[in-house]
Amino acid sequence: MWGIFLESVVIFKNYMGFHQHRYLAFLYLAILLYLWFAEKDRRRRAIFVYAPTLLLLLFFCPLFRKLFVRLLDDSETYYRLLWLLQMSLVSAYGVIRLFAAHRRIGVAAACVAFILCGDYVYDSENITKAENAWHLPQETIEIVDLIEPEEGRITVLVPADLIYYIRQYSTNIELPYGREMLVARWEYHHPMYEAMEQAEVIETSTFTALAREYPCAYIILKEDREITEPLTEYGYELYGQVGEFVIYRDRET
Amino acid sequence: MRGGCTFVTAVNGFVHSEWESLQMVQTAGILFWLIIIPYCIGLAPVSFLAEEKRNPGIVFLAGYFTMWALFGVVTIPVVLFVRYDNFILASNCFMALGIVCAAAGVWLTYRRRRFGRQGQRMSIKDCIREMSLAERIEWILFLLLLGFQLYKAAAYASFDGDDAYYVAASLIAQQADTMYTILPLTGRHTGLDIRHAMAVFPMWIAFVAKKSHIHATILSHTLLPFVLIPLTYLVYYEIGRILFGRRGEGQQAKESDQPDQGRQWKTCRENLPLFMILMAVLQIFGNVSIYTNETFFLTRTWQGKAVAGSLVIPALLWLFLLLDNGRDRQEAGHGRTDAGQKRTGAGPGVWFLLVCVNMTAGICSSIAVFLVFILMAVSAVCLAFVERDLKVVIKMGAVCIPNAFYVLAYLVVGYSYLLQ
Repeated sequence: MWGIFLESVVIFKNYMGFHQHRYLAFLYLAILLYLWFAEKDRRRRAIFVYAPTLLLLLFFCPLFRKLFVRLLDDSETYYRLLWLLQMSLVSAYGVIRLFAAHRRIGVAAACVAFILCGDYVYDSENITKAENAWHLPQETIEIVDLIEPEEGRITVLVPADLIYYIRQYSTNIELPYGREMLVARWEYHHPMYEAMEQAEVIETSTFTALAREYPCAYIILKEDREITEPLTEYGYELYGQVGEFVIYRDRET
Repeated sequence: MRGGCTFVTAVNGFVHSEWESLQMVQTAGILFWLIIIPYCIGLAPVSFLAEEKRNPGIVFLAGYFTMWALFGVVTIPVVLFVRYDNFILASNCFMALGIVCAAAGVWLTYRRRRFGRQGQRMSIKDCIREMSLAERIEWILFLLLLGFQLYKAAAYASFDGDDAYYVAASLIAQQADTMYTILPLTGRHTGLDIRHAMAVFPMWIAFVAKKSHIHATILSHTLLPFVLIPLTYLVYYEIGRILFGRRGEGQQAKESDQPDQGRQWKTCRENLPLFMILMAVLQIFGNVSIYTNETFFLTRTWQGKAVAGSLVIPALLWLFLLLDNGRDRQEAGHGRTDAGQKRTGAGPGVWFLLVCVNMTAGICSSIAVFLVFILMAVSAVCLAFVERDLKVVIKMGAVCIPNAFYVLAYLVVGYSYLLQ
């Protein structure tokens, strides 16, 4: 039980970003504590004080966590229980109450505190300037436009960089393996993925033999990907290049 | 040569006019399925709300939650029991049901107006006129923050690995007319993955994409944030409207020497724009980790789980407050509104909306069903404790009945292999 409790503590710390020195959670907890004393309206007390406190207690309760994980068969999503706290709503409400007499200065000070303790969402490395209306890398779109058949579907072997995007643009392109191979903790194994991504140098004969099992009509490789022998010696032709991606077409399929 | 030029010009003109008419169809489709239909559907449940609680914002929210609940009711059985071309069947049924409900909403409103049961409401112009200069500036500040978030949503791409599943699932439904029979990650055929199959939010996106002839990925990444972000702030606004009572209380408190003036300041309407500014700042700077609902809200706006965390859960809190708000006024003995109409409490519409919001959680994510169940249970216990009234628990329990069927279906389909 103690171990399960400690796991919940780690999940809480990760959620609140303590490891990155983000302390918005402390502001929230301070405001919640303030509301314990200041909120006199019994129904608001129930919704903004008692319910979040009870939810926090449930979150750290080992028995509850055990039940949650057993029922949902998933321990990775336990953090979502913290969504029920609605930290923003409680914090904003508490701040307005706290600074009732000096509202504007109080709110300005609270904004500064939130900015200092929080983290700006748009400077995340996952957010980049959109290149098109699909919000996908332009190279993906150009590659698919180049190889997509007018009718039917084809299987294409693509590097990891493209796996997330290809099928968001066209479902006429099928893949031997998908995004599941890129999440290490899911521990999937796939011989084609291992030959394509995990081998330091692609061993051409086994690689092409595997690719033809699907059969992959095209193979796309990054131009700096090392390969024992050129694909052109194994029945493939150079079909085109988009950015750093070289497209080979299998003449046998 | 001249003939050739004329031909090219004619072809260009034809292509141009084709393109223009396609754009018109797309715009009309988006307006119809994202604005007109939800609004008209919302008129129906709002007719059962107390008179003074009705406003266009609530109509929109009620419309969206009712529409999503309807979508779940139609689509989930189709996913579970129909294997081939199931998207065509589900979208045709939903289209018919949606239009009927929208027509019912319009008819109910027409009937109410015809028989004169309509409250006096301030126009936006009057509302603005009533505001002080400082308040107007605060609202402008909030709108700037909202506009900034919308600009970022449109001009910046947010990478998320889960899109490889959810967005591709929408696109498969749009392009192949099938739901959850093809694995979005690879395109191979697959059996029913119950955890994802019952959360049909991507199918609603596919439905709108299909009807408006817009690529599901463009709809998800570029257009839907323009609906879902303002809708979320609409929930926060409605929460703020309840928390920060009535206009003028603050001014009265300032001018009077009443002992409870501090309380009046804390709850006066003049706090509403400041509350909204704080909410916007907290969304923008709430990215303390990749797990927070604030991060999900602005980086994965179109995903069902983000909708559950940022729209559905706050909507439940809004409805809890709305229920209490109605009861509060009844208990305070305010039998009549300023306009002289009889008060009826929150009205049965609020309970109906609670059911719809609960069902919306089901279409967003199967885990969200369990989450809202926990929130409902905890809130019911807390409300019953402060009210000294166990009936709250029973009523809240009754609201969860549709989700109980959802969970039952989830468990039966998910664990049916144990019975074989």
